[in-house]
Amino acid sequence: MEKKRLNEFLLQLSKSYELIAPVKTDVVRFERVKNPETIHLEKNAYFPLKEYFFKKEEVLFTFTGNKIQETTLSSPKRAFFGIRKCDLNAIHHQDIVFMKDTQDPYYIAQRKNSLLLGYHCPSAPSPYCFCGSLDLIDFFDLMFYDKEDHFLVEVGSEKGKKLAEKYGKLFSPSTRLMTQADKVIPGADRLDKKDISAFYDHKDWKKGADICLSCGACTALCPTCYCFEIHDEVKAENVNKGERKRSWSSCQLQEFTRVAGDHVFREDREERFKHRIYHQLEYFKEKYGVQMCVGCGRCIDGCPTRIDFVDIINKMEHGKEETESKN
Amino acid sequence: MSKKNTSAKSEKLNVGVYGITGCAGCQLSLIFNEDEILDVVNLVNLKAFPFIKEVNIDEQFDCVILEGLVADKGDLETVKKLRKNTKMLVSLGACACTGCVPAYRHFTLKENYEHLLYKKMEEIEDVDPTPIDEHVQVDYYIPGCPPDKKEIITFIKSVAKGIVPRPYQSPVCVECRRNGNTCLLDSGKPCLGPITTGGCDSVCINGGFECWGCRGPTKDMNLDLMIKMLRDRGFDDKFIQDRMRTFVGLKLPMLEKVMKPGEKPDKLQTQFYGEKIYYG
Repeated sequence: MEKKRLNEFLLQLSKSYELIAPVKTDVVRFERVKNPETIHLEKNAYFPLKEYFFKKEEVLFTFTGNKIQETTLSSPKRAFFGIRKCDLNAIHHQDIVFMKDTQDPYYIAQRKNSLLLGYHCPSAPSPYCFCGSLDLIDFFDLMFYDKEDHFLVEVGSEKGKKLAEKYGKLFSPSTRLMTQADKVIPGADRLDKKDISAFYDHKDWKKGADICLSCGACTALCPTCYCFEIHDEVKAENVNKGERKRSWSSCQLQEFTRVAGDHVFREDREERFKHRIYHQLEYFKEKYGVQMCVGCGRCIDGCPTRIDFVDIINKMEHGKEETESKN
Repeated sequence: MSKKNTSAKSEKLNVGVYGITGCAGCQLSLIFNEDEILDVVNLVNLKAFPFIKEVNIDEQFDCVILEGLVADKGDLETVKKLRKNTKMLVSLGACACTGCVPAYRHFTLKENYEHLLYKKMEEIEDVDPTPIDEHVQVDYYIPGCPPDKKEIITFIKSVAKGIVPRPYQSPVCVECRRNGNTCLLDSGKPCLGPITTGGCDSVCINGGFECWGCRGPTKDMNLDLMIKMLRDRGFDDKFIQDRMRTFVGLKLPMLEKVMKPGEKPDKLQTQFYGEKIYYG
């Protein structure tokens, strides 16, 4: 596709879909776009896409006494453009949790009618990126590869194929097959060790925990983190009537690990810090066969103290080599 | 429904809302719930609310919500009397919980404020401004300057329903990021959000203004790191100390340990109130 055709394509698409794409405000955010010219593709969005599927706050149902009234779920038709490889994989990982492992009607309603149009990074958009160090897969309806004067568009699903056929006038056919070289993102492979099971008792985790404020920014900005809490909101006219709500929570909060009997099972900051990293790189893999982390680097970029867990793991790995070579 | 309401009338919670020395802003926060305030008045038996009610019955409460801090002998008597008359006493707002701005007097020398005291009005018998729990036992705290209006109503609803009010102990940052804000510390502002208890829906930061910590410290705050971060951003210790003391000076544990020894009076108990902070 010629580059100048892109806006035309998106404009036509926005007639039948709600178009969501990265826009530069104070930072880059995914927002509803009316004019495709405002789309910003240089940097990745500061906030992830997950809020469109796994909402910040969701009314699960309303109740009157013991009677439950289910909420009506709407399935908006949305086209997301400019999603990076990391965020596409993040959506795939959340699909595993909310659509395969469990059938979460709230997530499915938001996810069902969505079109995923990727944008392949020509180079790592942030110094914190490390998606290349992880085993990311192809997961998209259409993927746009930036080739200076044109976009190479790869079809990734039946939905994507139909879309390309529908707007066939705007695309020019290509016989070129995508190679592995096309899919590499230069400068995004800084994590040197994926398997961190051997480091569990390493003393250097404390270095990260010492500069952790337990503010939960990392988990809120993470495109894959899916922990939540549930609470009721009752009405003043009748306190037996109300809504049950689900909202984002974070494993970094002491409060999150408080259970019945007022017991806090991860009271220590270091335990909570380590738990996040291990869930991202180990526990999720044990359960679902794929690492949860997608290497977008948002948790580092958005951390008030820039705790770089990739750097911590790399130092553990290289520190080990040093001691081995000394022996 | 109507039948139930009449039969339940005697079982309604007897509630009183009072204010001692303070700006009355916290009581206003309650009234500002225009959509729900009439329902709340129906939900409980509002025996006394001198701020808005003409007739007030001054005894036998199940729950008294009290704004302000003890600043003169009259306040002290009111507090003691209310404690005797109620099963549950709730501190409403930063003054009642932590002393807030009026208690800042503890951190300055007497010469600095003496001339400002009521010299000509001798009927006012001044005492050291102190939060309510320095004088009587407090059961729940609704912090904030002022508290979130929804939060006060949610508290009343929980008590009326008979559930234990649920404490909110996560820092402001949690709601702040959820609200789509970027970090003000990154733009060099001295935001105290990471060590401050949330529940305010990060209202200040939503408006571009940094957090001053009015809701008090979180239980597991990393104070050393917060101070280091502010120093790294070019704020001197005097500024950091002043900023942290503005709202919660009397109740911020460890501040004196981490920073230079302050002038904190020995007679005050450094009771940490984080355990009982309420948010719904």
